[in-house]
Formats: sequence, C-alpha cells, structure tokens
Amino acid sequence: MSRLRNSRLGTFVGRQESVLLLILLAYGLLVGTVNPTFYKLDNLFQIIRASAGTMILAMGALVVLASGGIDVSFTAVAIFGGYATVRIMMASGIDNILFAFALSGIFGMVLGATNALVIHRFRLQTLIATLGTQSIFVGVMTLIFGTKFVPVGDMPDSIVWFGTEPMLTLTMPGGAARLTWFVVPMILMIVLTWFLLNRTLIGRTVYAMGSSREATERAGAALWKTQAFIYMYVGMLAGFMGIVYTAHVRSLNPISLVGDELFVIAAVVLGGAKLTGGVGTVSGTVLGVLIITTLQTTLILIGLSSSWMRFFVGGILLISVSIMAIRTNRENLRNLIFHSE
Amino acid sequence: MQPRTIHLTKLFLLLSAFVIVALLIYGMFGSRFYNTRNLISMGFQVGEFAFLCMAMAIAMLTGGIDLSIVSNMNLAGILAAYVLTNEALLAGTSVGTVLLLAVTVALVSGLAGGILNGLIIAKIGVHSVLTTIGTMMLFAGFGMILTGGRGVVGFPDAFSYVGNGTLLGIPFPFLLMLLFFAAVGFLLKRSRWGRSLYLYGSNPIASKFSGINNAGTIVTTYALAGLLTGISALIMISRTNSARVGYGESYLLQAIVVSVMGTMDPHGGSGRFSGILVSVILLQLLSSAFTRLGITPFARGLVYGSILLLIIIAYETLAGRSVTIGKERPPRAAGRPVDSM
Amino acid sequence: MGSGPAYAGPEPLFQEGRLMAGRYVLQVKGLSKAFPGVQALDQVNMSVGFGEVHCLVGENGSGKSTLIRSVSGSQGFDSGSIVLNGNEYTHLSARQAMNEGVQVIYQDLSLFPHLTVAENIAFNWMVRDDVRLIRPKEIAARAKDALIQLRENLDLTGPVKNLSMAQKQIVAISRALVLDAKIIFMDEPTTALTRYEIDSLFRIIHELREKGIATVFVSHKLDEVFRESDNITVIRDGKKIGDFTTDSLDEETLAYHMTGRTILYTPYEYTADANRQTPVLEVRNLTREPHFRDLNLSVCAGEIVGITGPLGAGRTEFALSLFGLNPPDSGEILVDGIPRTIPTPVAAINAGIALVPEDRHVQGLHQKNAIRENLVAGVLDEVTKWGLLDSDAAESVANSWFEQLSVKAVSPEVSVGTLSGGNQQRVVIGKWLATRPRLLILDGPTVGIDVASKSTIHEIVHELARQGMAIIIISDEIPEVYKNSNRIIVMYDGVFIHETNREDIDQEGLRTIVEQGVPA
Repeated sequence: MSRLRNSRLGTFVGRQESVLLLILLAYGLLVGTVNPTFYKLDNLFQIIRASAGTMILAMGALVVLASGGIDVSFTAVAIFGGYATVRIMMASGIDNILFAFALSGIFGMVLGATNALVIHRFRLQTLIATLGTQSIFVGVMTLIFGTKFVPVGDMPDSIVWFGTEPMLTLTMPGGAARLTWFVVPMILMIVLTWFLLNRTLIGRTVYAMGSSREATERAGAALWKTQAFIYMYVGMLAGFMGIVYTAHVRSLNPISLVGDELFVIAAVVLGGAKLTGGVGTVSGTVLGVLIITTLQTTLILIGLSSSWMRFFVGGILLISVSIMAIRTNRENLRNLIFHSE
Repeated sequence: MQPRTIHLTKLFLLLSAFVIVALLIYGMFGSRFYNTRNLISMGFQVGEFAFLCMAMAIAMLTGGIDLSIVSNMNLAGILAAYVLTNEALLAGTSVGTVLLLAVTVALVSGLAGGILNGLIIAKIGVHSVLTTIGTMMLFAGFGMILTGGRGVVGFPDAFSYVGNGTLLGIPFPFLLMLLFFAAVGFLLKRSRWGRSLYLYGSNPIASKFSGINNAGTIVTTYALAGLLTGISALIMISRTNSARVGYGESYLLQAIVVSVMGTMDPHGGSGRFSGILVSVILLQLLSSAFTRLGITPFARGLVYGSILLLIIIAYETLAGRSVTIGKERPPRAAGRPVDSM
Repeated sequence: MGSGPAYAGPEPLFQEGRLMAGRYVLQVKGLSKAFPGVQALDQVNMSVGFGEVHCLVGENGSGKSTLIRSVSGSQGFDSGSIVLNGNEYTHLSARQAMNEGVQVIYQDLSLFPHLTVAENIAFNWMVRDDVRLIRPKEIAARAKDALIQLRENLDLTGPVKNLSMAQKQIVAISRALVLDAKIIFMDEPTTALTRYEIDSLFRIIHELREKGIATVFVSHKLDEVFRESDNITVIRDGKKIGDFTTDSLDEETLAYHMTGRTILYTPYEYTADANRQTPVLEVRNLTREPHFRDLNLSVCAGEIVGITGPLGAGRTEFALSLFGLNPPDSGEILVDGIPRTIPTPVAAINAGIALVPEDRHVQGLHQKNAIRENLVAGVLDEVTKWGLLDSDAAESVANSWFEQLSVKAVSPEVSVGTLSGGNQQRVVIGKWLATRPRLLILDGPTVGIDVASKSTIHEIVHELARQGMAIIIISDEIPEVYKNSNRIIVMYDGVFIHETNREDIDQEGLRTIVEQGVPA
C-alpha cells in the first residue's frame, strides 16, 4: 500500500517540481524571517488572490508550449474578453457573474479560433503570428468598443462583488483572513487543464505534436483539430482571466494587461515547460506561477521597492533556464548529440 | 510577345509592395505628403527605429530573435542621460567631453547588453527567445531601479544635434542610418563574420563540423545588435530630449514586422539586408500617412499586425514561384520524387 | 489487437515448416505511378504471403519508396491494383490500408521522444479507434500485451528518448501489433543496431512470422538480405527486375541486378615508402571514457587504414576525438611526429586532420547553401584578409574542387540540397581537401549512396592515398573496408581487438572476427 503511494507521488512530483517546491519554501522562509507578517494566513490568501489571474493564463500557455508553439496574444484576448463583456453588460443591464464568465469565455474561444485558423492554414511561426494577432485583437477591440476607461462606479455590481466579497473569512489571532472567490475559477481551470492534458486523447495529442509533429501526422491524428483545440482553449481561459482581472482591479483600462504575457511564459518555462514542446506539467506550472507571484508581492515585505521586481524576475528566469541548459548540454556533450536544442 | 518569366523572390514582392504603397500615398495626399519639409521630417523620425530594425534583422539571421532591443535601448539612453545631466561633469569639463563620454556610455551599455545576450545564448546554450525575455526584464528592471520610473531630462543644447541636426540639409540621423546600412550590409556580404553568420543560420551543426567558431559568431552578432541599439538610444534621447523606462514599446513588434517583411527568414540563414532598408522606409511612409490621417495607436497596431500576417502568408505561399507572361508556357520542370525512405 | 492470428484462412499456413504458397496478404498487380518527368513505378508486380519475410532491394531513387507509399495509401497510383487480404483496390486510402493491416515503420521510427513507452505503443491505436478518454491502466495493459507477444520487456513508464535504437524499434513494432498489423514494412531497420540487437530483431520478425504477420524489410546491406529473407524483390528504375529466393542469388549477382551493370572492385594496394618513416598520424593510449580505451594506432602517408566493428564499438567517437569534437581524457595524438592537443575542430584542421562525417546531410553540408559556399566553408580563414572575404580566392578554391571532383551539377551556384547522394559526398570531400589535410578520416562515406557512385568515391580515395595522403576509412560494411584498405583494424566495445594487413586475411575471416567480437 505504501509502495503504491510512493510510486504515484514519485511520478507526480518530478525532479523539476521538487526543486521548485524547495525554492518556494526556502524563499518563503527567507521572507518570513525578515518580516514575520509574511506568515499571516491573510497574507497567504492575498498571494493566492494575486496569482489567480496569472495562474489561469499560465494553464493556457502551458497547453500551447506543450504543443511546441508560443502564443503571445492571450493577454490581448483577455483584455478583449473582459472589456467587451463589461461594456455589453453595462449596455444591456445584465448583471450576473456567470454570464460574465460565459460571455468572456466565448469571446476568447472565437479569438482563439482565429489564431488557430491563421496558424494552421498557413503553417506560420506561432510566435510571430501571435505577435501579429495580438495587435489585431487590441485594434479591433478599440475600433468596436472604443478606449473609454471604466471606473469602479460604472462597473457591473456582480463583478465588483466577485472581486470584493470574500468567499471565506477566517478569524485569526492577527486579524481576519479573507479568501477570495478567485480560487474557484483558478482551481477549476487547474483541474480541468490537468484532466485534459493527461486523461484525454486530444491532450496527449498536444504533447505528441510538441514531441514530433511528423509522427503525429503519420499516426493519422488530425492536426487542425488539435490546433483548434489548443488555441480555443487558451482563448477561453484568457477570456475567463479577463473577468478575474477586471474584478481584481475593479476598473477597466483597455490599455492595460497587454505586455504581461512574457511574465506568464516565463512562469511556465520556470515550471519546466520547454519552448521546443512535448514537455511541461500542470504541477510545475502551478509552482512556477506561485514563485513569480510570491516574488512580486513580497518584495515590499523585505524592503525592496516594486522597481526591483522586473529585475529579479528576469534574473531568476535567466538563472533557472541557464541551469537547465547547462545540464542538457553537458548530457548532450557526453552522448555526442549535436542538436542545437 | 516573347514569354518572360518573373521569379517571385521575396525582395521582388517587397519592392512591389513598396511601389504600390508609395503610389497610393501619392494618390491620397499628393504633394502635401511628398514635399521637402515632410520628407525631411520623416528623415528625422526614421533614424532610431532603423537601428533597432538592423539589430533585430541580424539576430534573426542566426535563426533567433532579440526581444531585448527596446529595453536595452532605454537603459543605454538612461545611462547616457545621466552623464549628460551630471552637474559635476558639466561644471568640470567641456561640453564636448561630456558629449563624447555620453556617446561612449551609450555605446558601451548597448554593447554590454548585446554581449550578455550572446554569451548566454552561445556559451550557456539557452534559446534566444528565453534569453532575451530574461534580459529584456533585466534591462528594464535595472532602468527602473535607477530612475524609479521618472524621466531624465535636461541635456546640453549641443547634444540636440544628434537627433535634430542636419548635414547639407539632410537630417543627421538619416545619414547615420544610411552609413550604417551600408556598413553592416557590406560586412554581411563580404566579411568572414557575415559568411559565418549565414552559414550558422542555415545549419549550425554543419558549421561546427566545418571548424567555424559558432560561439564567436553568435556573440559578435548579438554584440553588434547591442551596439546598434546604443546608437538608436543616442538618437532617441536627443530627439525626445529625455530618457525613461518604457519608451518605444511598440517598436518591438514593428521591428519584427520590418525584419520579416524585409525578407529575413525567422528560421535563420537567409535574407537580403537591403530589404530591411526598403521595409524601414515603407513603414515610415505608412506611419507618417497614419499620422496625417489621425489614426490612433491602437488602430495602427491593428494595421501593423495585419501587415505582418499578410506578409508572412504572402511569402509562404508566393515566394519561390515563377510567373510567366506571354503566349508560350515553359516546359514543366522535370522533378524526381524525393526519396524519403 | 493482435489477439487473434493475422491469417484466418481454412488451410494451414505452414506445412512441414515451410510457408504454403498461394496465400497472399499483399499482391501488387501492374502498379504504375508517374511524376512530372519521371516514371517512378512501371508495371510492378509483387506478392507477399502471410507470415513471409520478404526483402525489398533497390537503390535510392529506384522506386521502392514510391511503392511502399502506394501500398500504405499515403500516395496514389496511376494504374494497376493492390490486393490486400483478397480485397482488390484500384485506389487505396491510408485509412483503408491501415484497416487491412498495412503498417510502415520508417527509418526514424516516428516515435514521440517525450511520451512514455506505453503511450508510444498505444497512441496510434487510440487515434485510429478514437479512444477519447485515457485510462492509464488499459494503455499499460495493451502495451504490455504487445511486448509479451514479442517476448520482450521494457519499462513502460520511461520516456522513449532514453531508449536505445534497438529498444525504440521494439516499441515501433509493438505499436504495429496493437494496430492489428498483418504486414509490416521496415525501412533499413538494422542501420543503427549492434550485432546482438540485429539478431534480436530477426528473432522478433520470426515471432511475427509465427503469428502469420508478414515482414517486408528494405535493406541495402546485401549480406543481411541473404541471411534472413524468404524472398527477395529487386527494383531498378521503377521496374521490378525480379523475384529471387535467397539461395539463387549472391552478392555480386544482386549488385548487378540492382545497378544493371557489373562494378569492378580493385582492391587498394599500398607500397611502403622508405623515405617517409614518420607516420602521419600516431595515436598512443588514447582514452575517452566511456567511449574507448587505450587505443594505439599509426598511419603512414599513402596508407588507407580501415576501421570496422559493430555499432557501439566506438569508431565514430574515436574519429570525433581526432577531430576535436570529443576531446580525450588521456593519451597522445601525434601528427607528423609532433604531439598535438586537439580540443576543437579548428585545432584539428590546423594540425592537418580532416573529417568527412557520418551524417552527410546534417553534419557534412549546409543544404540550403550553394555548392560554392559549402566548398569554402572549411577554409574561411585562408580566404580572409583583414576580416573580409577575398572573393577571388574563394571562387578559385570552389571552382578548383568543383572540377577536380567532377561534381555533377549545372554550376557551383546550385544549392547542394538538389544534388544526388554521391555528388553531395563529393562536395563534402572537396570541402575537406581544400584544407589540405595530412590525414583524411572518412566515417561511413558511402552510406545511402548508389552502388555506382560508391565505387567512384572509392576511386577518389585510392587516388588521394596514392598521392601521399594518410587515410582512415570507418565503415559498417565489411566489403567496403576490405576492398579499400591495406590495413584493417577491428574495434569492439571501445578497444581495438585485431589489426591485420589486408593480404593476411580474407573477407569471410574478417566478418567472423567482427561478428564474434574476439580476435582471431
């Protein structure tokens, strides 16, 4: 019985994940020692709240990276979905949080389908293609909906409620600990992504594509179906995130959010996904996002201003991918493998 | 009529597009656009962007990409700006010395950033996308730490010549651009570095087996890209009379558009450098036309993104084919089926 | 799922241990296929019985790939028909072929390096049957079942990229089993296998045979063709030249049928030059764990030393060490009597060593570049002045070698990717001759090259040796090593186990030493 549990745990927590977990815990200890307010439960709940949006996006980005592609348009999709949905809700008077998620998710899927169509039909390099679609999505959004800033006063109530009201309040010795509603979509998306990637054929086909596109074609798999799934899925998730983001900042500036996509990709790569595809786990991605978010939110606690954030994230990313690269290259050198990656 | 075959090379398609756009603009604006004053104005604007494009283009020739060029530029600009606004220096030495120092600082800073990129990519073996995402954050973060988000302003008047002066009536940055286009283009075609670069982009493994120093080629390439970025920084801060983090973010996408449109193959190893010059000017024409039409930045993004997609689709489908005008059709070329087994 | 026998006819498949005639899983009748400018297949007939081991022999470009693509449904054909399990098709789709049990294992095996063994075995089946929900236990069970049928055992949970070539092949064959294969095409399956692994492979093929599953393997290793197949079909220029049983053919006759002409092999004769006493290359106690240990070798000017041995012996690793891509742990390398350290290819070139590498396509050439550029790629230093390329010097180098090696192309401006294998190899050799080496190492110089071009390349090598170059030829093919060397070394498991002059041994004797791995 114990052997079964060990083996399952062993495959669940791979080598990369163990290292990340250690880093996370070590960093947590460091911060907590310098500033014990870190250990407050409320603080941990705040970290979860801060990471929810990125986490949802990262799940989508993981699927894309696992297939061997890179998508940088998902932030544009997210802001499109969020902004469009809010403006429609304001105009129509519908004020329901589930409606918000559904509508934004649909917008996301439509935009994702556009990505899939363009990429598959013309076999384009995904990075450059999605750089193009990123601006196109933002441009179309401003054309249709304009660039009006939506202050909290005009926001639909359900969204404000979703972002303000806690799902759970625990009375702790140091004060109240409030757990946000964001955990619901966040955990749902983590579980859904895990299920799709590990327990469905289309999910395994995603990994297959990233591992060997040619072998996938020879196996008779319909690549276009898989591409459509990938980009529509990441689009849908981006749409969901758009609502979470809107609820989080409680206002809506259409110029925001785009530009953060590289942070999300950095988190997913930190979590063990490879740019070349075929590799990457949900647990690793979760850890990668947690590490980056914790870093972002706790720099102030250890006395560094937020200006240092980008610098640190960049540095950590470089160090972590360098370590991975050195390890791979040393192995390749020993086995006389001469591929560039 | 004698049948003539036109080979649709990328450069041919690009030049055709250029001519079409130029004529369209003439049709729309006539001499209100094509007059000395406007041309000179465009000549001033195109400088800083052109250097960024040159940097991106040579990075693409290696089969990689440099996402850090804008952050590198801003950082170099900030450091140079500190020199230009340093009270002690300005009081202690002549203006000329301060200017010289500032120029040196910008160039060294850009160069250093490029060398960092090159070393990580070549010596450690991290993919260029990940490396330059990391260094982009690093440079931007460093700039943020130094400036706290505030701009550095107030340069000596003499410095304004770099971005605003003319030589024989022609804008100085424009001349600088032409000079460097010629120089870099010459080096690419005729120097050992250029030949090694093309061979590397074509097949890095064969290059290694040929005894070519791959690491040296890559570091030199990214270092040169960094140097060009430094020049761009000088022009930029001279024109705007300030230096700050976050300037010119839209330049990144545009530089990629210019590179791909300018016939650089994202896989590396092929591309005519003269195409970059054509592309840069083409984009400048578009940009000026947009300003005249009062098109918002978002709509411009929409257009640039669409152009990028259209270009790569066109190159993918049309380039390499031949079109015959005339009565006779040339005989179908004999082809052997590729023996894949 | 391979749970039942492939052949389900009323009459017994085997009688007294011999395959019954008249029961065919595949019949190709008058198959023709043309491409613009070339008739790839011309009225080809071929029959393969249930459980038969059939060898398809033909040079690159002979049409065997087209034939296989047609039978597997991935490519159409113009006329004729394909009969599978008694069903006649004048047009065959990939889906239909798969349903009839046709499976093709390409040379790259088409596996997914990052997925597990179990998933690799089961994936194609999941796609075919649209198994939407993954139940890991079921996948594992099916994979295990297939492996058991082959009497093999592999760790189902490890990623395929960590497996050896032989193990990967087992995965590929298991995959075919899971898809209810009745006839499996294998393209050059033994290229990357050791002797022991080749035996295992053929044992597996016999297992398949017992189940009535036919194997058609494509091979250019003439010696293997004979040992293992029931029947041989030879194709040349799109036409079927003939069907032969193994006993009715020998190597020379087969080579004759494949090329349509008789190729004369003149073995290389070496005369020691009393004036040149210092060997061009001397290797003393060279060690590089885990590839090879304590190697000692000397090669004089004008000698061709052949190194052969089974895969994994360390031959290529040794060559790479001499060329600076696999720096040794200890030992000495002396060129013309001077000790040299060779940490990079540049150092090797400066020392006068050149390597024509094993993988012509990826390691040897820049496929997208012109012949001219490839020819100059190794001597960029020499044609550079003040950092700039001297285009006249470069052009003269390129033209000179282009002509001397008689590269068959319109001009040196053509890209090498369009050349035939033999011509590509000439470009590689030309590139290295331009560096004026003292020692030229050729690793597998005629792999994938048609028989006629092979002998011309051998002639080039002989001529180079006659002019005083020291040459090392590394090859898998016993005949190639035997006929082209004056001295032969057998390498096994990282050690030189035998060294002999060519005249002191015959080809069969050499083969025995290589196969058994023990010195004579």
